[in-house]
Amino acid sequence: MSDTQLEDPQFIERLRQGDRDAFAQLVKGHHNMLLATARTLLSPADAEEAVQDAWIAAHRAIAKFEGRSLLRTWLTRIVINQAKMMLRKRGREIQFDPTNDPDALAHRFHNDGHWQHPPQHWELSGPDNLLTRDELRRCMEKHLHFMPDSQRLVLELRDLQGLPAEDVCNMLEISASNVRVLLHRARARLFEMVDHFQETGEC
Amino acid sequence: MLKCEHVTEKADALVDGSELSRRERFALRLHLMMCRHCRRYVRQMRALLGFLPRQEEPLEDARTEAILKKLDASQNH
Repeated sequence: MSDTQLEDPQFIERLRQGDRDAFAQLVKGHHNMLLATARTLLSPADAEEAVQDAWIAAHRAIAKFEGRSLLRTWLTRIVINQAKMMLRKRGREIQFDPTNDPDALAHRFHNDGHWQHPPQHWELSGPDNLLTRDELRRCMEKHLHFMPDSQRLVLELRDLQGLPAEDVCNMLEISASNVRVLLHRARARLFEMVDHFQETGEC
Repeated sequence: MLKCEHVTEKADALVDGSELSRRERFALRLHLMMCRHCRRYVRQMRALLGFLPRQEEPLEDARTEAILKKLDASQNH
C-alpha cells in the first residue's frame, strides 16, 4: 500500500476497529521507515526493540487515534518516545541545543559574507554522477554516523521521511527555529563532505 | 542586498518549498540571478538531498507476521 492509502480515513477506521489485516498492512508499510528513525538514535539491536515496543503501544492506542495529525507522524512520535526511554535506560539523552556545533560551511565565507571558497562543480548526470559513486555513498554513511544525534534525527524526519516542520517541532518538543538550525547544520555538514570529496577524492 | 552566507541559510526554505515570505523569496531569487556560486550551491544541495539513503521498502511478509504474533501475545497478558 502507498503512503496515501495508509492515511486513508476508511483504512484508519479499520485500524480503529481492531482489523488485524489492516494493522499488518500498517506494519508492512511503515516498519522500515520507523526503524530508520529509531536507528538515528540507537544501536541496531536497541532500535529493533524500540520499534517492536512502539508497535505494541500503537496497537493499544490506535482506537483512540483521532486523526489530528498524519498517522505516520503519530507513529513516529511513539517510536521517538520509545527511543528516548531506551536512551535513558542507557544513561544517555539527546542534546537539542544547536549552538554546540558550528556551521560546517562558515569557514567558506569572507567576513563580509561573500564566498571565499565557493562550491566545486559536481557532475550530477549520467554514469559519472558524483552522488551515485560507491565511495561517496560510504563516506556519506560515515558522516551521518558521526553527526550529532539531534542533527541526524531532524535530517531523517524532515529530508528523508518528509514530515512537516511543524510536526517535527511538536514531536521533539523544540522550537521551530531550533529545528531550522539543526536541519541547516546537518545539510551543511553533508554538503561540505561531498564538496571535499569532489575536490580531493577523499572522504 | 542579501549576502551569500545568508543565502545558504535561507536556501533551506527554498529547497523545502516552505517558510519564506514573498519579500524573502524575491530577495533570494534576485541574488541567485546574479550569483553563480549561490546558484551552484542551491542546485547541488537540492541534488544531494534527493540522493540521501532512504528506507522505503515494505517489510517482508514473514517479518510482518512475526511482529503481529508478538502483538497477539502481548494482548493475552
